[in-house]
Amino acid sequence: MLSQVFHDIEKKIITSLKDNPKQTPENLEKSTKLSPDQIRRGIEWLKLKELANVDESKSSIVSLGKNGKESLEKGLPERRLLDLLKTKSKLSDLQKELGPVFGPAMGLARKNNWVEATADTITLKNPPDALPGEKSLKQIGDSKLSVTELDSDDLSRLLKRPDFVVEEVVKTKQISLTDAAKSINLDASSGGIDVEAKVPEVFVARTHPLKDTIDEIREIFVTLGFSEIYGNMTQSSFWNFDALFTPQDHPARELQDTFYLDGISAKKIATPDQIKKVSDSHKKNWRYQWDINEARKMVLRTHTTCVTIKHLAEAKPDEARVFSLGRVFRNEKVSYKHLVEFNQIEGVVVGKDANLRNLMGIQREFYKRIGITKIKFWPTFFPYTEPSLQTMVYNERLGKWVELFGMGIFRPEVTKPLGITKPVLAWGGGIERIAMLKYGLDDVREFYNNNLSWLRSATKCQ
Amino acid sequence: MPVVELSYSSLQKIIGKSSKKQIADSLPFLGLDIESEDKDLVRIEYSPNRPDYSTDFGIALGMQGLLGIKTGAIKLKIKKSKSYSVYVKPDVAKVRPFVTGIVAKNGKIDDKIIKQLMAMQEDLHFGIGRKRKKSSIGIHDLDKIQFPLVYTTTDRKHKFIPLNSEKELSITEILETTDVGKDYGDLLANSSKIPVIIDANQNTVSFPPIINAAVTTVTTKTKNLFVEVTGINKADAEDMLSVVATILQSAGFSLETVTISGAKNSTPKLAERKMTVSPSLINQTLGLELNASKIVSSLKKSRLDAAVKGKNIVCTIPAYRFDIFGEMDLVEEVALGYGIQNLEPTMTPSQTLGQTSPVSLQLKSLNQTMIGLGYLEALNSSLTSKRVLYEMANREPKTIISVLDSKSQEHTILRDLILPGLLENLSKNIHESYPQKLFETGTVFTAGNPISETINLSGISAHQDANFTEIKSVLQSALKTGFDLEIATKTTEHPTFEKGHCADVIINNKTVGVIGEINSKIIENYKIRVPVVGFEISLSESILKSL
Repeated sequence: MLSQVFHDIEKKIITSLKDNPKQTPENLEKSTKLSPDQIRRGIEWLKLKELANVDESKSSIVSLGKNGKESLEKGLPERRLLDLLKTKSKLSDLQKELGPVFGPAMGLARKNNWVEATADTITLKNPPDALPGEKSLKQIGDSKLSVTELDSDDLSRLLKRPDFVVEEVVKTKQISLTDAAKSINLDASSGGIDVEAKVPEVFVARTHPLKDTIDEIREIFVTLGFSEIYGNMTQSSFWNFDALFTPQDHPARELQDTFYLDGISAKKIATPDQIKKVSDSHKKNWRYQWDINEARKMVLRTHTTCVTIKHLAEAKPDEARVFSLGRVFRNEKVSYKHLVEFNQIEGVVVGKDANLRNLMGIQREFYKRIGITKIKFWPTFFPYTEPSLQTMVYNERLGKWVELFGMGIFRPEVTKPLGITKPVLAWGGGIERIAMLKYGLDDVREFYNNNLSWLRSATKCQ
Repeated sequence: MPVVELSYSSLQKIIGKSSKKQIADSLPFLGLDIESEDKDLVRIEYSPNRPDYSTDFGIALGMQGLLGIKTGAIKLKIKKSKSYSVYVKPDVAKVRPFVTGIVAKNGKIDDKIIKQLMAMQEDLHFGIGRKRKKSSIGIHDLDKIQFPLVYTTTDRKHKFIPLNSEKELSITEILETTDVGKDYGDLLANSSKIPVIIDANQNTVSFPPIINAAVTTVTTKTKNLFVEVTGINKADAEDMLSVVATILQSAGFSLETVTISGAKNSTPKLAERKMTVSPSLINQTLGLELNASKIVSSLKKSRLDAAVKGKNIVCTIPAYRFDIFGEMDLVEEVALGYGIQNLEPTMTPSQTLGQTSPVSLQLKSLNQTMIGLGYLEALNSSLTSKRVLYEMANREPKTIISVLDSKSQEHTILRDLILPGLLENLSKNIHESYPQKLFETGTVFTAGNPISETINLSGISAHQDANFTEIKSVLQSALKTGFDLEIATKTTEHPTFEKGHCADVIINNKTVGVIGEINSKIIENYKIRVPVVGFEISLSESILKSL
């Protein structure tokens, strides 16, 4: 067995207790020359290691009262009487000499048969060498003593007399070593360190919790056969809205919902053919004067769908699974459930046989992989998909169904003008919402507060 | 999304044999989200493409179909009448060229219906009316109006008593003093001509798209209604009218025609449309194998009419369903009628192999390196403020990319550096234990046309002994170990860094960033009590360069 390692304080206390097995903390201070605080800590450590016993007990402390102090100086009244009797015997002389204590002194002396009295004289009979109480009186002297240090018979004589001895009850600690401690060889334990002591906290450097969720979701998409595509956060209105069949007077395109970049219009937005066909589709279906200047206005993308549709319009794949992931922006008032900037993922499947039930199947698989099994689908509306569905997932913590990803099949009004001929299944949504489920957060702002105590300690709950 | 407030009991009454639970369970399958419930009251969010769901009558029509109580299309029964007409004068052409209308008689009008009609009107104005710009509705007490009417223009001095007023006001006064005038006056801002509908007694009936006259106010004593819709586009105005007409008929009114003539205007037909859809498209899109009769019954449950014609299905679509553009919309109607809950998800194996983009892979590897060097990852918005990006970072603003009308002062400009955000992060954590070491990778923006978007890495270290050597060692190791890139540093000046303690970061003879001890003024302003060192480099110019 390895020998234990002790702090210097502990060593000094153990050494002192080996010499003097029962001590109060005050005694230990004196014997070890440690400060009261060091003694307190040392005793605490030893107690935790089961090396020291701390007995708390109540004890009586005695000191001399007024009459006791007088007796210490002049002798007990009966002692003074007996001394006087060696030279005098006349009652009146004795009374005069002793004053008010004559009575009690005389009473005691007669009761104990130390004297013999006649009408006006008193003579010594057989007085003892030491009178009861004298021993305790001397022992107490000017100090305070525990009753245990005194002869209790002798003390009791004094205690009976008025204001000779003052008694008070105090709590005292008695420190002693346990049996285990008695066998410790302090000399043998030098050189080691205290491996059992508490240590300061250090913090792990780590990936941001939201980034961790993003990485997890990216991984799931890749394992489901999707390839990642990248696109800009600043986009022309053409790709963010027009190409997605959102009419130019649609409320979502207003300043109060979308961030427009001040004074910036895109010079080149798309090919002339794309512009013509997209604008024709708007004019025919929405019946208004389509304005290319409106389409040139640069916005902060409101969804990652603009990246997807641009990719599909360029690549025109017959068969594809791609996804885009990144920040999107909404002109919202920041609150516990809304941010102006958040992460979105969007995946699409292109293929001649792609259908709505496949789309639902991919959703189910995706949710299963992030640990959500209770899901259902409800119909909904998006300007650029038809049919459109939304996933509802059951939040166990809140005990209710919450909306997660939206999905649908791109409308022919979206795909045809861009030359995309095969059905395109699309779905996506905010990642923060999923991360909130994972980290049990109710306030989405926490992800961007960069509050170190949270970043250093956040743990997944799902 | 617009919200409508209804009561389950009144819905139940209109729908017919149905329970409250049945209704509540089925609402989501009409595409309606229950926002909140309080005993009998329910608040429902509906999609703006279905304005017919703005009243309980409209929702009841849909619910009857879904529950199979009443299926097939709602037919508008409009009696031809010669009593009511509106003549349109050519002068309206430049301001609000079209008017259309209908008469609805003998309905029960109580406070509840009035409230609902007003709520519907507001939703229609806001949604398909595009805040009354495209089209707007006026609903009047028919019996207070002397036909024929004229839709014409007047000037701003024209006076009448508007709704909710007791005295005559001029057009100018209405626009300047009433709430609706202030809200929508802009729609007429550029026009000297003001559109009005005037009756045979020369009384003003309506001042579209702003306000009706007080005299035609609909009250619980009203028996018969006159509905007019004006707009900048004939088809849009008639679409809006078709919704109101359908709702009023469902509410028990009998409809009669209003003859409209003059200046390219005509009497609305509110006619059904026919559209053909092929069962194969339906089955292919939904992944089902429905036979023609199942398709027909599903469409009928969606309150459309349908019949098999050869290999196709011919569908009859009532006028108020103008949200249906083409075949694919009918596919969705089949799915809804069939029931979304009846669609079983299927999983087909992927024909493609997935791949993470090389950019993501490089960034992930960089993340691991920075974490290995003891740095905690932070995330800040790319849309930030001048205060954080320039003022607090002691920088002079260059060409700023700002957004219009942001609702948040903290999010008004796009960042061109990440470092200022990290410094702000430190300022919010001065009570946390040190050392504090943070890094962030993310997109930064440079003004230009097109705007350039590049990816940067920034790292900072704050503690009692932080110094230039430490941060240079970190950057050097991160790039050397992870990416085999050597860095050199050359003395430079940068307002965010302390003079004489700042260097350009150079990779392959090209300056890609800056590194140094943070200017003590910034540290002081942020009330940080320890030295801070940091760097920022362009990843697009370094580890992502060849991608």
